[in-house]
Amino acid sequence: MGLFSRADDHQWSQRHLSHYAEGDLSPRARRRLERHAEDCADCSRGLRAMRALLRLIPGIEGREAVRAPAGIFDRVRGAAGQDGDPAPAGGT
Amino acid sequence: MARPARQRGPDALDTEASLVARARAGDVDAFEQLAGAHADRLFAVLLRMLGDRAEAEDVAQEVMLRAWRGIRHFHGQSLFFTWLYRIAVNEASRCLEKASRRPAGVPIDAGAVQVPAAAQDQPPRRLEQAELRQALRQALASLLPDNRVAIVLRDVEGLSTQEAAQIAGCSLAAFKSRLHQARMHVRAVIGDDMLINAER
Repeated sequence: MGLFSRADDHQWSQRHLSHYAEGDLSPRARRRLERHAEDCADCSRGLRAMRALLRLIPGIEGREAVRAPAGIFDRVRGAAGQDGDPAPAGGT
Repeated sequence: MARPARQRGPDALDTEASLVARARAGDVDAFEQLAGAHADRLFAVLLRMLGDRAEAEDVAQEVMLRAWRGIRHFHGQSLFFTWLYRIAVNEASRCLEKASRRPAGVPIDAGAVQVPAAAQDQPPRRLEQAELRQALRQALASLLPDNRVAIVLRDVEGLSTQEAAQIAGCSLAAFKSRLHQARMHVRAVIGDDMLINAER
């Protein structure tokens, strides 16, 4: 008999789907999730959905590349014209 | 989609160091060249975070102005793009905070996102690519700002978890927690079946 009940495994697996898909679990934790997902339709589907999400989301912008607006440096130019050197401001 | 020009070899890093030195000395052309290399991706991040092109354009200009004014304080402890993105995330967060109209601060209501629903007795239909992208954008827009930053930097932009956490200005553990929450939310909004079918 395992250390964890099925209910424990289920809740734990649901909480770690993203970490699993990220490859961020220890080998032991991966095995725990995989063993549970073999018998749990919910977690198995959740895992497939999470993997699908991670493959789909980088294409959110479509094929057309996002271009920065032409005037992105307008304020910089304006400030440089006024101040000359970059002002010692910010704290960034 | 092309990755930002941040995966560079030693020559490119030398060039960057020399551009930083010139920009710090007040050379605005050098600054434009330096920051311009990241402008498209930076704008994409702002667009995804703010969800409004006009606002993103305004914030992008402000980010560049702040970076220009702060370049003297950049001593190369981090990569330039990390520093620049950090300013962008701060500005975008400030903007979102100011405009409390955002859906981001509203409790999540999956029903508010327009994902075409399947009839109960039918399998979910496959979403068209454009529909799916729109649904994903809406799902992202309904995230809390911190969680949105996490998923945009890590999953949309493809930054490493470490880079993204540094830009988000939080610990690695906090970042992972935000990222997890963001992914779970988007997954819940779109629906497992829709996601799985969209891949087929």
